[in-house]
Amino acid sequence: MTALIWFNEDGLNPAHPMVQDYPTAPRIYIFDRPYLQQWQISKHRIQFIYESLLEIADIQIYQGNTVPLLRQLLEQHQATEIVTTETPNHIIKAWQHDLQSYANLVAYPEVYPVNDHSSPRRFSRYWHQHDRAWLTP
Amino acid sequence: MQPLRTNLESRNAIADYIQTEFPFLENTGCLSPHVGGRKAGLERLQHFPLEKYARQRNFLDGAVSQLSPYLSRGCITLEEVRQWALQHQASHSVEKFVSELAWRAFFHLVYQDEGDRILQDLEPPKVPMRQHQTTLPDDIDRGETGIPSMDTFIRMLKETGYLHNHARMYLASYIVHFRQVHWRTGADWMYALLIDGDLASNHLSWQWVASTFSHKPYIFNRENLERYAGSVLPGDPRKDDPFNYSYEELADRLFGNDYTPASSRASGNYR
Ligand SMILES: Cc1cc2nc3c(=O)[nH]c(=O)nc-3n(C[C@H](O)[C@H](O)[C@H](O)COP(=O)(O)OP(=O)(O)OC[C@H]3O[C@@H](n4cnc5c(N)ncnc54)[C@H](O)[C@@H]3O)c2cc1C
Repeated sequence: MTALIWFNEDGLNPAHPMVQDYPTAPRIYIFDRPYLQQWQISKHRIQFIYESLLEIADIQIYQGNTVPLLRQLLEQHQATEIVTTETPNHIIKAWQHDLQSYANLVAYPEVYPVNDHSSPRRFSRYWHQHDRAWLTP
Repeated sequence: MQPLRTNLESRNAIADYIQTEFPFLENTGCLSPHVGGRKAGLERLQHFPLEKYARQRNFLDGAVSQLSPYLSRGCITLEEVRQWALQHQASHSVEKFVSELAWRAFFHLVYQDEGDRILQDLEPPKVPMRQHQTTLPDDIDRGETGIPSMDTFIRMLKETGYLHNHARMYLASYIVHFRQVHWRTGADWMYALLIDGDLASNHLSWQWVASTFSHKPYIFNRENLERYAGSVLPGDPRKDDPFNYSYEELADRLFGNDYTPASSRASGNYR
């Protein structure tokens, strides 16, 4: 299956395992214009992202609307798979959700020392329960 | 569908190019000292004096890692920073630092559970908040509140895209409790300006300050501000100083009779 690697603003890591796992896949980043404008994202953040992207070999950077642009790129590259990273960001998650209608989505999870599903509402409770795991290499 | 340029050689060239490609951006007129990329993040990690962290982290001129831009943008991962910290001999600093990393994971966990509900009150506020305004007063946005300490924090935020944790707390508390602006309004504003802007850490911290995600509102007084931030602040006029009260007096002034504060209130530490 031909794949595209699609980076999001919470995962700008040139050393990420997905880059090694898909060495020949085109690497894509999209500055989502509606998001930047709606949330009035500052120039410093955009510059930081840009500088981070330039460390990713052969990165292709676009600006526009994420989902339609990725659909075009899928077609252009005859790709059927999108490889990306998980994030709790609900805006990025919504794009990922929409893209599943057009491609097989492979999202690498973020690594945490513990996976807690108990919804602790206070940090003190969370830490009390998990400090050992966090403090063990 | 034209890709953007990737052959830009200097930070200034990138800044100019961004301004032409995204003309709606407000021109900051200066470069942030925080250079993007994994390389810069790893370098910062290597130079971070972890052993000083526990003692100094609450002070605005103290040793903190300034890794948040790299962590939030994913250039380096929480897990690799944790492993790096745990290579050091066990100490209070190591533990404190790792527990701060855990704060980030905790906020993400809540965000994962709640989704965009974190953009609204997660709990009823513990102090009256119905009158709070939902537009940010211009003087705050421009950094012209007339209180030099707060204006300094706002200027730092705008010029660098980063603020020390304690400065974020002071500024959020000032905006929500002293100026009676709704936390969401302040949170959206700060999120936009931070390089490390992260809806989980940012909006949930604002809710923590406001008391919609904590047991009590976070407030500070003159003594606390001087102790932790005095060295970087220009000095505020003492006449009509809104902060120069005891915590009991402040709670009374800000929240009226509806609220009795706990007697001790620590700095910079979430509970
Ligand atoms: C009002 C307010 C808004 C905030 N907005 C953001 C935000 O948008 N993005 C963001 O990453 N952090 C945010 N924080 C949390 C915290 O202020 C920053 O993570 C921290 O100041 C970053 O500086 P540092 O890297 O030197 O931290 P260090 O003290 O060196 O800590 C190391 C790392 O641990 C994590 N961390 C430390 N303290 C916290 C904390 N209180 N909450 C969550 N993670 C923490 C960060 O990833 C940080 O890089 C906010 C805090 C407040 C009070």
